[in-house]
Amino acid sequence: MIQRMLYNGRVIWACMKKDIKSALTERVFTIISVFLPLNFLILLSLFVVSGGLAPTAVVMQDTGPYAQQFYNAMAHAHSFALQRDSASQAEQLITAGRIVAVVTIPPDFDARIQSNQPVQVNVKINNLNTDFTNDIRRAVPLSITTFYAKAFPNVVSITTSEHDFYQQDTGYIPYLTVSILVIALVMSGLLQAGTASAREWENATMKELMLSPASRWAIVIGKMLGSFALSLIAVVVVLAVLIFIIGVYPVHWGEVIGFTALTMLIFIAWGTLLGTLIKQSQAFIALAFGTALPLFFLSGAFGPISFNTQAIQVIAQIFPVYYAIVLQQHAFHNFTLNTYGLGTNILVLCAYALGLVILAAIVLRRSTVAN
Amino acid sequence: MSKDKAQVVATMARSQAKDAIEMIDLCKSFGNFHAVDHLSLTVKQGEIFGLLGPNGSGKTTTINMISGLSTPTSGEVRVFGYDVRHDARRIRQVLGAVPQETALYEELTAWTNLDFHADLFGIPRKEKKERITRILELVQLLDRKDSRVGTFSGGMKRRLALGRALLHNPELIYLDEPTLGVDIQARRAIWDYILLQRGQGKTVLITTNYLEEAQALCDRLAIIDHGKLIAVDTPEHLKQTYGGSVIELETEIPTTALDQMRAIDGVKDVKQDGRHLTITTRGISNVVPQIINIISQEGELRDLAVREPNLDEIFLQLTGTDLRD
Repeated sequence: MIQRMLYNGRVIWACMKKDIKSALTERVFTIISVFLPLNFLILLSLFVVSGGLAPTAVVMQDTGPYAQQFYNAMAHAHSFALQRDSASQAEQLITAGRIVAVVTIPPDFDARIQSNQPVQVNVKINNLNTDFTNDIRRAVPLSITTFYAKAFPNVVSITTSEHDFYQQDTGYIPYLTVSILVIALVMSGLLQAGTASAREWENATMKELMLSPASRWAIVIGKMLGSFALSLIAVVVVLAVLIFIIGVYPVHWGEVIGFTALTMLIFIAWGTLLGTLIKQSQAFIALAFGTALPLFFLSGAFGPISFNTQAIQVIAQIFPVYYAIVLQQHAFHNFTLNTYGLGTNILVLCAYALGLVILAAIVLRRSTVAN
Repeated sequence: MSKDKAQVVATMARSQAKDAIEMIDLCKSFGNFHAVDHLSLTVKQGEIFGLLGPNGSGKTTTINMISGLSTPTSGEVRVFGYDVRHDARRIRQVLGAVPQETALYEELTAWTNLDFHADLFGIPRKEKKERITRILELVQLLDRKDSRVGTFSGGMKRRLALGRALLHNPELIYLDEPTLGVDIQARRAIWDYILLQRGQGKTVLITTNYLEEAQALCDRLAIIDHGKLIAVDTPEHLKQTYGGSVIELETEIPTTALDQMRAIDGVKDVKQDGRHLTITTRGISNVVPQIINIISQEGELRDLAVREPNLDEIFLQLTGTDLRD
């Protein structure tokens, strides 16, 4: 019994070592697979940064206190990236397509406000992008309301009393980057494990494994550990960028490590399973990209999935990416994105991990080599 | 002891040897296709046994069932008394395999390939280094131990695959087309290694398309076609039993009396290639004078030779097809 265990341990170690050595001989692929998740992080962060605030020029033809207050109200609307320009400069910028809108505060703004006369604030919009156009259309009236609430508190009788669920707001980037960490785990796990398995079939070396007295469990676990070690490099790089460069510090370090390992295990097992079934690296890589990205967008990467329609919620909860995002958002931000509780989310992921490892070992039947 | 006497002693020893492989009424079907059809065979310990058959005849399927890579649809396979269905792991421990595709990790070095194999087969760590060195010496690749297998020639890869199969000192070695795609020099070297194994008491099972190889190496041969056993015997007995004789003739002018020759009692086949005739017979006692008589009525007989049939001709006769069809 002990001898058998020692032998299995040796097989696991040998398979792990061999897969790492094999992968390291394909240097370009290894480098790409390490930096691909980081590339996702940068790409999606840029997407958020570029889509966050609408660049807007304000032409201040009046510099009185009310005009200034109106400008401040716009500045706090969370929609504009404001800059003050002259009328001619602003015109040049919008013509060149470098800003979305020009807001012109007229020269008699203060005087008209003081005399309770209507004021017309000119808003010129480059409506090339509906998203930005709608931001401007929403934010200008909001700024007017905010201006009146601050300048004439007695005029606006409706006020809000905000009670926040969490102690502090979380920016879009800190929220999204944690989700991107999950896609990094998905991609690196799938790519490393899937190609390591598919390579054995492409090169017909699966026969060497299957003709040995080693158990398929030991072979699968060894191969998965090899992929785990290689994926870890990508994950450490993404985590380092996330924590030390973007500055998203985890609230629960232990959870980050545990949930990261659990998520890696799931997608490495998934990769091993798919690689064994597909048996071709190129086809597998196409499938990995084809499935991982939709899953990522579907699973609450950009915001809690519970804010979406019932149908999307049901679909998202079929896949482990959803639970991984829920758990990582808790680990980093202490968020509770569903009502199942931490334990249930962990149990669901553990069940996925166990199921996929068992499936990966089952599909590695000796008879599949013969056929 | 003379060479002949030594061969007789070795043959006697093999006839008394225990069975290394027993196949009893073995069948393997894929849907309606019967890849192996009620095959019964016995391979004795210490012999080199050849499985001969055209592509798709069921050789590799048979070998896959012996090694546990494929489960028989019905029938039994025992290797050294172990049932392949229940003791597949034990069988793989005593089996050294050289698959047709070599199954080497080409991106890794020769040493790393053998080191990995040693771990898979649980070779004691203390012995590992020495055994790998010895095997690399045997297959004459020690000086290339740190080279990637991908840089090796076809012959070198075959030698390394053979070395890897021998590393865990198996009792049974199977080689699937061991010299496919290698040059004549490398083929000779591989034959020498295979013969060396028999000298050490190992059982060797070979599948091959090369009859010359089968004749040079195998103590016994099984000819299979469409998954069925056609014949099994030593190469010499096969020739005696199924061969008859072959008469080669060169005539002055192409003969037109082919039907007359085919009608002679004892003639199995007559083939004409211009002025050259190849006549396969079941015996030559009365055939040659009658042939000469027929030829001389048309013109002069230039040349005549009588020889034993080769395995190609026996194979053709038994299966009605060429081996490499």
